[in-house]
Amino acid sequence: MRKKRLCIISFFVLVLLVGCSRKELKVPLEDVGMVDSMAFDYIDENQMKLTVAIPQYSPEAKKNTQIFSITTDLVSSGIVEIEKQSDKKIVFNQLRVVLVNEDFARKGDIRKIIQHLYRNAEVGNKVLIAVVKDNAEAILKADYPDKPSINFYLNNLLEPSINTAFNPNTNIHDFMYTITNPVFDTVLPFIEKRGEKLEVNGVAVFKGNRMHELIKPEEALVIQALSGRKNLAPLHLDLNAGHGEEKLMIDLIESTVKKVSNKNIESPKLTIFLKIKGTLSEYKGERESQLITTESISELEKDVNKQLEKNIGEFLERLNNMEVDPAGLSEEFRMYYYGEWTTEKTRDLIRKLDIKLHVETSIISTGTLK
Amino acid sequence: MSTTNGKVLNRYHVIFLAQSIMVGTGILSLPQKLSSMGYAQTFMPLLFGLLATLTAFAMVWLCSKFPNDDLFRMNEKLLGKWVGRLINFLIIIQFIVFSAGIISNYMHLIQSTALQEQTITLPVLCFLLLLIYIVSGGIKSIARFSVMTFFITIWIIYFTRWAIEKGDPSHFFPLFNFTSKEFFEAIKQGYFSILGYELILFYFPFIIDQKKAFRHSLIGIWISIFLCFITTAISVMYYSEWQLKRVEFSVLNLFKAGEFTFIERIDIIGITLWVFLILSSVTAYVWCAKRGVDTLFTKKKKQNYPLYVITIIIFVIIRMPFSREFQEKLFLASNYVGYLIVIWPVFLIIIYTLRKKQVQV
Repeated sequence: MRKKRLCIISFFVLVLLVGCSRKELKVPLEDVGMVDSMAFDYIDENQMKLTVAIPQYSPEAKKNTQIFSITTDLVSSGIVEIEKQSDKKIVFNQLRVVLVNEDFARKGDIRKIIQHLYRNAEVGNKVLIAVVKDNAEAILKADYPDKPSINFYLNNLLEPSINTAFNPNTNIHDFMYTITNPVFDTVLPFIEKRGEKLEVNGVAVFKGNRMHELIKPEEALVIQALSGRKNLAPLHLDLNAGHGEEKLMIDLIESTVKKVSNKNIESPKLTIFLKIKGTLSEYKGERESQLITTESISELEKDVNKQLEKNIGEFLERLNNMEVDPAGLSEEFRMYYYGEWTTEKTRDLIRKLDIKLHVETSIISTGTLK
Repeated sequence: MSTTNGKVLNRYHVIFLAQSIMVGTGILSLPQKLSSMGYAQTFMPLLFGLLATLTAFAMVWLCSKFPNDDLFRMNEKLLGKWVGRLINFLIIIQFIVFSAGIISNYMHLIQSTALQEQTITLPVLCFLLLLIYIVSGGIKSIARFSVMTFFITIWIIYFTRWAIEKGDPSHFFPLFNFTSKEFFEAIKQGYFSILGYELILFYFPFIIDQKKAFRHSLIGIWISIFLCFITTAISVMYYSEWQLKRVEFSVLNLFKAGEFTFIERIDIIGITLWVFLILSSVTAYVWCAKRGVDTLFTKKKKQNYPLYVITIIIFVIIRMPFSREFQEKLFLASNYVGYLIVIWPVFLIIIYTLRKKQVQV
């Protein structure tokens, strides 16, 4: 009896109290604008230009991407300003690409804006970061008639693929990891706009929180190989080892790297063993007709080894003179150092570092034609 | 005490009670709590495991001298009625605040990651309703819930796969690279993450096979320790030292490293599953608090109202109008009192040996 009464009372209370509830404040899905790409341009020390690209799904709209641009000092206040122009609520759940122009990377505080995004729990880990030549806003605003939309294009361009394996594919975690880790210097892919196309044509190497140098894809490939990436981009080589000018292309199948340090940070020595396996996909030069026997191939391998050792050695020498360590070579010394490791120690060590290289190439096949 | 008058806990219950109570919110922020040691924190959970084994041995030894009494009764017997009751009262308050701390910590996590646009009142209410439901089933229903929790949640370890792939094992070296100051700071901050096994002091009388209780709870303890070890090891591999220090819930960011094409936020799955772990540890604490109230006021035994009162107090503590700062201090204080409870049995053992003759059971 009591239970019955309780049921009836609670039923009425519930029905009547519904009138007191507040209106639902949640934003329906069609009113949410999911930012896909963001771009930052440098204006001066305090100001930057923030551009966001939001996909437009409405079939009535003429363009399939909405672009908003604003001059601001803080990222979040910029977003608030953009919301004033936008018909939708801006959220970051689908953020995929962050572009930063070269000026910003060299003079601005890129770490601060990325840290702001990293703090935001909405932002996933798939956000890819890239440095852009000249103007990042222009890249988002430009027309790419043969692409579905700028968002897809940028994202696919920056994602890992075998032919651009020199690209470090730095995502938001990698960026925060390398910029806060004293043994690393951050690397970001560098994009340039050429007509109606975008091109990843290099890698920006940071020193501390600022961009320091732009390096070529071939050199960036070395960084990837030394930091232990297994699948690398095809390797293009110019040989000049007693057989005149030779050009060859090796499709790399697998590379393994082993680093042995002498554990001494006063006079650091590092020996690097790099083993690469690949197929000779194209060859142009004097020896073309001879490359059918295993002996001649092993001779070619030796020449390739020498050439690679020279190229890589020169490149590492250059990095050492700049005191940057994008491949994390100083980790081999930190592993054996007791006490706190600092960025200054890395700089000091890299300047003094003496590197010995052993490259071992093996060409597994030259295709099916004899 | 509605259904649990006799001995009800078999060995699996004992294993998983010890295991599930330990994994509360602690493991979520363990790498951050230990971050004063930087990369050298990897093996800290194993050291904690040793400490836990030692203290658990003291607890079980004491319990085996009073096979039918829980800590509340032992306090009364060993310290006299009034001192014992005072201590019991403090323990009850401690458990209530501690549970409130765990829930509040979890709700803070939900607020900052999953439900950013909502207040947490409704989730807290739902949580407390479930809590009442489980606790009123007695210790056996909590134990069963713990077993279920373990098997429901253990597979989320799989989600750390990508972090392992990306991580760098060289971070483990050099081993033992820390100063004594960093070490003690890490113990102080981190040991709280593995608290929970001390509740065997309260459910010991319900264990069927009391002689093997120590071995069974050790299995549970070391399962948890192993999970903590995996957590710190993967975090050390995946993060830089700066990130270890700053990323508050580092385990969730480990899940974020996941690369499924069809799902963006694996961490949300992790958080929502975590509610099982939180429930299993909070229910055990609340059950102990309720036992305490029952022993303090022994007039009407078979009633459930102390549970409702406790739940309301917890709700008030979580939603209380005090500042966030005061709340934090309160919960921090209750963590340190938690350490006291771990050491308390050692003190009682000393008293027991001194007053052996007077307190024969």
